[in-house]
Amino acid sequence: MKKKKSKDFLFILPAMIVVGIMTQVPFLLTIIFSTLRWNLARPDLPRVFTGFDNYTHFLKIPSLQNVPEFYSILWQTIVITGSTLILCAVFGFLLALLFDHKIPGINIARTLILGPFFVMSTASGVIWKTTIFNTTFGWYGYFSRLLGAWPIDLLSYYPVQILIMLFTWQWMPFFILVLLAGLQGIPNDLVDSMKIDGVNWFQGTFKIKLPLIMNHMRVAVMLGFVFIIKEFGLILVTTAGGPGTRSYTLPYMVFMQVFNANNIGRGSAVAVMTVALTLLLVNLLYKSIKKQNERYA
Amino acid sequence: MEGHRTLQQIQRGIRTRRILKLTVMTVIIYTIAIVYFSPILYMFLTGFKTEHQAVLPRLFFTPTFETFQRVVGDPTMFRFIRNSAYQVFFGTLLSLLLGIPAAFGLVFGRLRKDTTNGNIYLWFITTILLPPVAVIIPLYTWFQQFNLINTPYGLLVAYVGFHTPIVVWMVHSFFSDLPVEIFEASEIDGCSRLQQLIFIAVPLVRTGIMSAALLVAVFIWNEFFLGFNLTGNPTATLPVYMARFREQQGMFVAQLSASSTIAVLPAVIFGWMTQKALVKGLTLGAVKG
Repeated sequence: MKKKKSKDFLFILPAMIVVGIMTQVPFLLTIIFSTLRWNLARPDLPRVFTGFDNYTHFLKIPSLQNVPEFYSILWQTIVITGSTLILCAVFGFLLALLFDHKIPGINIARTLILGPFFVMSTASGVIWKTTIFNTTFGWYGYFSRLLGAWPIDLLSYYPVQILIMLFTWQWMPFFILVLLAGLQGIPNDLVDSMKIDGVNWFQGTFKIKLPLIMNHMRVAVMLGFVFIIKEFGLILVTTAGGPGTRSYTLPYMVFMQVFNANNIGRGSAVAVMTVALTLLLVNLLYKSIKKQNERYA
Repeated sequence: MEGHRTLQQIQRGIRTRRILKLTVMTVIIYTIAIVYFSPILYMFLTGFKTEHQAVLPRLFFTPTFETFQRVVGDPTMFRFIRNSAYQVFFGTLLSLLLGIPAAFGLVFGRLRKDTTNGNIYLWFITTILLPPVAVIIPLYTWFQQFNLINTPYGLLVAYVGFHTPIVVWMVHSFFSDLPVEIFEASEIDGCSRLQQLIFIAVPLVRTGIMSAALLVAVFIWNEFFLGFNLTGNPTATLPVYMARFREQQGMFVAQLSASSTIAVLPAVIFGWMTQKALVKGLTLGAVKG
């Protein structure tokens, strides 16, 4: 019997080794790097242990007039991710209700609205930037000139709002997909008895259907959060973090610290803080899912 | 208002109203779907314009294959497609080869303790949650040190490491639906664990495995962060090409649209094929876990 037990483990071991080497080991190294003074642009300086210096560089507030930009970038990350999630949840739910109707060819309509989710973010970013937001070639420029207005470069004037819009466009289909699955799982006799009991649309939607698919909503929000907070390509090709650092997010900041400033130590510190933030919020969301499951178990 | 309507008239009235409601619904739903999809639709269309036509946003024009022909014939574009195809093919294959046995072992294997299966499964899930910025810096230094930037193998291993957990997650939910009794019976018949996996478990969930494979293929095809930071010019993938298009090729709207159409189309088609399994794999996996 003992021999058999060890054999079963062999099925799992190869995957664990590869996944471990590619995810866990580098993450541990990132934590170690974050305590070093290590700048690739300055090979003359020795790599030395500096404790939490890299963290305090970003976190320490010398005076209220001189707040480090880490805080504004953290705030931007929270605003972009949070607004996107709220918009996706609200409009995703409403659209899922709409796409739950039985009309001829509903699958074609569902397929169309799902499309943006599978488009690579760099391609959709470039397409929006050139064929829509561009003041000369794009539809935005065309229509504003048609209306007699002077088109402005929206990406530099409203970078955060535009990013929220593009993120929402890309991720709402995912919410619709998951929520639609939840709505279709609601038994038909329940919907019928709602009709017989004379429940109005508002009550039926928000007091009966929404609570029933709350778990799907939580799953969508949790996974959406994990995916949206690490989004990088869309920012790079549309606003490139600008103007200045106004549309930086934490992952973008890591990229700039490492690949532009060549500062491995400080980049690692931001990376560790990003992971800590992500895992903290995911943990909270996951706990709420688990609690919900236990209640209905 | 007529006071006395026959039953037939009332029925006809209800039917007309129902048809009217259905028509209005259909129009609304299709309008929303098409408007939502329109940026991609317009990109498809613009690929059939000449550069000169593409300068102004217009919906009606005489289509031409000129731009597509030039893009397809471009050796640079071909190199990026080939690099992407290489990563997708081997990345998906290796992720499946590692992930399916692992999922099988986690569902049916007898490990040291009863809780071990669940704990290892949870560990795989947490690696999905790990953002790539958490690993990029050490990977970048390794890749520099061992000169992996200019070979496809380094990125391939990174992709396998990041997508095997997704295979484990999805296939785990499909294996969990299978009755344990089949495996107990086959064990009495003298079937080894490996035979059980190859001849019983995999054929039973082959559609699920297909969709997990398609989903991983779509993810790798679209992956940008690792591809952008861990490749050099000879190994860069399509998303990297799209991101660098403006600085390398300049402002050619039609050519850009044709290139992105080629880059986007496979993922969108494969993605549509996976949508059902995606929901099942993601929601059930997460709700149960």
